Amino acid sequence: MDAGAGRSDYADVRHVRSSAETVSTRNGRVELVRHWEEEGFGVRVRIGGAWGFAAARGHERAAAEDALARAIAVAEAQPRISGQVVALAPEAPAQGSYSTPVEIDPFEVPLEDKLALLSQADAAMRGDARIALTTAHFDAYRDEKVFCSTEGAYCEQRIVECGGGMSATATSDSETQVRSYPGAHREQVSQAGYEHFAALRLAEEAPRVAEEAVALLTAPPCPAEVTTIVLNGEQVALQVHESVGHAVELDRVLGREASYAGTSFVSASDLGSLQYGSPVMNVTADATVAEGLGTFGWDDEGVAAHAVPIVREGVLRGFLSSRETAAEIGLERSGGCMRGEGFSRQPIIRMTNVNLEPGDAGTLDDLIADTDRGIYMATNRSWSIDSRRLQFQFATEAAWEIRDGRLGRLLRNPSYAGVTPQFWASLDAVCDRSAWRLWGVLNCGKGEPGQAMHVSHGAAPARFREVQVGVA
Amino acid sequence: MSRPLDLAQRALEAAPPGDGTLATVTVERSLLLRYARSRPTQATAIDDLTVDIAVLRDGHVGGASTNETDPESLAACGRAAAAAAEAAARSAGSGDYPGFPPPQKLPARDGYDEDTARADPVPGGAALGAAFEVAERHGVEAHGIWTVADVETALVSSTGVSGSESVTDAYMKVICIAPGGRSGYAAQTAAAVSEIDAQSLAEDAAAKAAVSSDPVRLPAGEYAVVLEPHAVSELLSMLGNYAFNGLAYAEERSAISGRLGKRVVAAGINLADSPRFPRQIQRSFDAEGVPKEPLPLIQDGVAHRVAHDTRSAAKVCAVSTGHAIAPGGSPFGAVPTNLVLTGGGASDAAELARPIERGIYVTRLWYVNPVRPKEMLLTGVTRDGTFLIEDGEIAGPVEDMRFTDSAIGILDRTEALTSMPVLTSDGEFYGRRYAHGVVCPALRASAMRFTG
Repeated sequence: MDAGAGRSDYADVRHVRSSAETVSTRNGRVELVRHWEEEGFGVRVRIGGAWGFAAARGHERAAAEDALARAIAVAEAQPRISGQVVALAPEAPAQGSYSTPVEIDPFEVPLEDKLALLSQADAAMRGDARIALTTAHFDAYRDEKVFCSTEGAYCEQRIVECGGGMSATATSDSETQVRSYPGAHREQVSQAGYEHFAALRLAEEAPRVAEEAVALLTAPPCPAEVTTIVLNGEQVALQVHESVGHAVELDRVLGREASYAGTSFVSASDLGSLQYGSPVMNVTADATVAEGLGTFGWDDEGVAAHAVPIVREGVLRGFLSSRETAAEIGLERSGGCMRGEGFSRQPIIRMTNVNLEPGDAGTLDDLIADTDRGIYMATNRSWSIDSRRLQFQFATEAAWEIRDGRLGRLLRNPSYAGVTPQFWASLDAVCDRSAWRLWGVLNCGKGEPGQAMHVSHGAAPARFREVQVGVA
Repeated sequence: MSRPLDLAQRALEAAPPGDGTLATVTVERSLLLRYARSRPTQATAIDDLTVDIAVLRDGHVGGASTNETDPESLAACGRAAAAAAEAAARSAGSGDYPGFPPPQKLPARDGYDEDTARADPVPGGAALGAAFEVAERHGVEAHGIWTVADVETALVSSTGVSGSESVTDAYMKVICIAPGGRSGYAAQTAAAVSEIDAQSLAEDAAAKAAVSSDPVRLPAGEYAVVLEPHAVSELLSMLGNYAFNGLAYAEERSAISGRLGKRVVAAGINLADSPRFPRQIQRSFDAEGVPKEPLPLIQDGVAHRVAHDTRSAAKVCAVSTGHAIAPGGSPFGAVPTNLVLTGGGASDAAELARPIERGIYVTRLWYVNPVRPKEMLLTGVTRDGTFLIEDGEIAGPVEDMRFTDSAIGILDRTEALTSMPVLTSDGEFYGRRYAHGVVCPALRASAMRFTG
């Protein structure tokens, strides 16, 4: 950073050493056992308002200096920015260290132990001839980061994530149906050690997962109608992710992501006035929640982790922001949301743990009992939303009728659609903290070149009124 | 011997001997400039490599990777791969992977461009400047990226495979947004940066954005459509990934499982994976060192072949078609990476629109995901240039719409194609850069189902 100080308005550097391990089974056989390691420098400079970022592998001084020289050359080659260049929002230089609390280091557990748990789960899903595919997964990640800047920041972080999951796919001549546990799309991962994976108890849940997949083959289809829906916590988490989290990323709001991820129906001037949802809707972006994939000591531009109110009693109260975008709309401080994937990607605004706060509707059983008629939908199967985060369509793996406060028939191919503010305005009940938990998302894609970020969402089952279902 | 090939050989030798070993080195040097609202926003220069070692033990493949190249790191990587394979063998007995493929003659490819390989930021800055100037002239703002890369892949195996290829690619995307929010899109992919015409792209995007009338909102329903090549390529990519995926086919999860040799789409549809098609980002071998050869997927509307890697091929007593995306087989399966859809007889998209009394003109599709892969039922939205067609002409802009329809169904309802397919790409580069695209024309389909 000493070399960068005199040649740029601002510079920072991250050295990141990343490790990952994945183990999986498929139809009772070992499918994948793989280990990844990489390390390098990511150097970011700001010259006349233009950013330059360069990445170089390794840990030697020469690599860092090479990256600095290229970052400066790239920044200087871009068209000059006309008008006033906004200063970065002030932040006390990051100092100190952060480390994930871990009981059992997942990288120290023998591969055979992981394979044994996965094989048990995989085997427990098989038996019915209609089960065509079973999979079970384990994943672990570790990032060791050092960050420093020309403003005097220097901090170290060690972040460990671990989790797993399984799925069963049943087929018939006309249908393919899948059930997953504990969540859709492979697995559920938390910022934790191996103890999190072991606590999933995959083998115990496996028979139910397979039975539901088979039952879906002959279940009646989800009807096309406007009705009440109750979403399980995981689907609420995805709903928050797609229609709240992305929509309040300040780079999107300001038009900076129009090239790829898109823009937002929310504008900066909506702060404090936009009726985002009903009065029971409270959303917080909190980078301090234990076990969250968006939890850290400092973000990747040195802003200390903190909680940012996003929606309070249905009204927009905050954005996910960076030092640059926060300053641009006059916020006093960045929301601390800048993260980059590994060492070779430039930090951009990402979700931390964007949580729908628990309500007072009791447990899931209480919520179902309080619902006369509707559909309970569980476990995401597909998702799509427009580039302004307004019109969406989601499908889940399974659904059940709700009749007179009880769950009824299983329904296949459930789906629902809506428009973001109207949908959230129809929220009338959220289960309480006993039903609330964090759900991890590993594949949040954004940025160019692309970055897949790990984020979490706290959510509990919730009820929405007058929703169009059966659209696909 | 190139330096990456030499490094791959050292990695191979660093791994403990056993039933087989395969080492791959991928070296990426890339530059990507982003811009928004006619200002530069981010710029990323990457100089990195990945060493992948795959080790075979008793029918199980273990893998490990590193971006360090010193002997100790290579040895550690080799040991990790061997430990992974041995753990699998101890835990599950014999596996079903038949072994790394034997050496075959690797075909030559064209398209490497020295200027592109230099990853010089100066032409990029000039391209951005040109786009900004055009946007200003049209009263709109420009958003997008300009990017170039040189990626060398070297692969050696204990069976005697030894080969490398260097691939350059250049890509620019321009999205122009008018003050009222209307947007237009244009993008270009090529092997050489000199082929990228920033000014022309910006003019095309600006023309779509700078329309004077307000967009109308159309009700859900079925509409005749004209899909520009970027929209067609999205459907074809999904089809390649899910329907012509050899693993999905072997596991009977594919929409064409049991339908090879049968007509699945309109007779005018001819789709192939053509790795050395002149307008493609050309490739000579896959992730297991198997030569990539042309593979007919659909001929005259009849499903013909699927893409296999060594593992998926073994499941159906076939041979690899050179479509492995990971040594030993990716969990996702084997997928075509050089799709080419043969053109038809229409001179341009305007001619395609002419017979349509009332329909929709789609520039591109966005956030497309499978709803039910076995039916190839997809959902997504139109974006950056959606227009109403009335009486054979573009009548004005419409609000973006959601479609929920089968990709196979849309191709079955295809009536006409333009004569000149173009290389399209979405310019997405997650992980180590692997440039690829779809060569396809625009098409007209008699109906496409829009759901909102």
